[in-house]
Amino acid sequence: MRRTPVYIICSPRPLVGKTLIARLLSEFLSLQRGAVIAFDINLKEPSLLDYLPKLTETADIDDTFGKMQLMDRLILNDGIAKLIDLGFHAFDEFFKMADEIGFMKEAARRGIAPLVMFVADTDRASARGYDMLIRQIPPHALLTIDNEFVVRGELPEAMGYGRVLAIAALPVFLKTYIDRLGFSFTTYLRNEKDTSTELHQWIRKNYFSFREIELSLVPQRQ
Amino acid sequence: MAKPAVIVVGADKGGVGKTTVSRTVLDYFSANNVPTRAFDTEFPRGTLKRFHPAVTEIVDVTSTSDQMKIFDTLNTASASVTVIDVRAGLLSPTLASLRDIGFLDAAKSGQITFAVFHILGPSIASLDEIAETANYMQGAKYFLVKNFINNTSFFEWDQATYNSYFHRIKDATEITIPKLNEMAYEQVEVASVPFLKFVANKGQHDETENYSFVLRGYVRHWLAAVWSEFDRIKLTDIVGSKEAKEKTSRGGEK
Repeated sequence: MRRTPVYIICSPRPLVGKTLIARLLSEFLSLQRGAVIAFDINLKEPSLLDYLPKLTETADIDDTFGKMQLMDRLILNDGIAKLIDLGFHAFDEFFKMADEIGFMKEAARRGIAPLVMFVADTDRASARGYDMLIRQIPPHALLTIDNEFVVRGELPEAMGYGRVLAIAALPVFLKTYIDRLGFSFTTYLRNEKDTSTELHQWIRKNYFSFREIELSLVPQRQ
Repeated sequence: MAKPAVIVVGADKGGVGKTTVSRTVLDYFSANNVPTRAFDTEFPRGTLKRFHPAVTEIVDVTSTSDQMKIFDTLNTASASVTVIDVRAGLLSPTLASLRDIGFLDAAKSGQITFAVFHILGPSIASLDEIAETANYMQGAKYFLVKNFINNTSFFEWDQATYNSYFHRIKDATEITIPKLNEMAYEQVEVASVPFLKFVANKGQHDETENYSFVLRGYVRHWLAAVWSEFDRIKLTDIVGSKEAKEKTSRGGEK
């Protein structure tokens, strides 16, 4: 049975690169699968909605109605990849609700493949958030993002046991370049003829990593 | 044949969640394969019957003919457990009637298993109810149910005062019913199905429904918490079910 991936990009900390990773992954999924639905629960930070308005919907989990609107769509096995850019302010509430309603179990029953992508940082809130996740999320559904631009060194030891995806830091001038609202990673790959540029290689490396993750979500044949 | 068991769910105050607790008890026995029948004394409307129509009969517990219908059939009914949802204001009169017909003596002598779920409200009046009800509790299993489902905060109670009432009844046991998400509760009300069917996404006639996954999740989580309280007090053992020791598969989280 074909499984529908649901990527949840999260951190209990602001400004750790969640929206950047959400943009990259959304563009990759759009390129790879032809369609993706992104949900922005991140309205208090730089927002995915500003970068990818055609792919992104806003979601709100402050009340039960908002939770229903979001989760009842995430649990649909319709073959369309979903992605959540989960703001730091909604981190605790989202996972508390997911635990209460048995999201991971129901997802497994319905052929949904959730992947929690935890953007690591070295502070206490991140350590507490990660500790909560490893108690709630099965190891195969949890991926730690080592964003070099944020962590700047070794990952905290406790976060290094499971699967880790490293995102290399870009020079500040390139960071400023990709942070422009009109910038598209896929368009850059298509239009930039010089494949040796640092940004070109950075995007390709990350797309390759995402492709590996996508493949890991497909059940292997016996 | 198993000894008949009667569970009375009641309170003298209205709006404290008696029928909700009765529904969780019926769901619990259903999930544990304990044959159960229920009587709804909210005559003639019958809220419990709306949710469990197949096993529930509406009765006027103050009428002799309906008292006969309930208690004269205890040994002959196919269901070994009888749940009586006593409407507001009738708990003390019902217990007085049970005493008058000799039912309490039968319970005391061990011929019948008798349990009372006394649903407590937040007011000090509930504590007076405990004192009044205590007079009838010899030979009965007495459970004081703190029901938080409708956001009761029990703010009026002084713990020391409560304890002084609580300890007047020998072997009284406290049960806590946690709060259920309001929207989830409302949706089950609208669907008019047992909590178990709502969790299983089924309608009144077992047809597949399209209830919200989120709301079903909240109900499943809540029901599991309520049932863990019933497991804690060993409710199936109390009613003498043969299945008590067998762990059956359930619609809840277990």
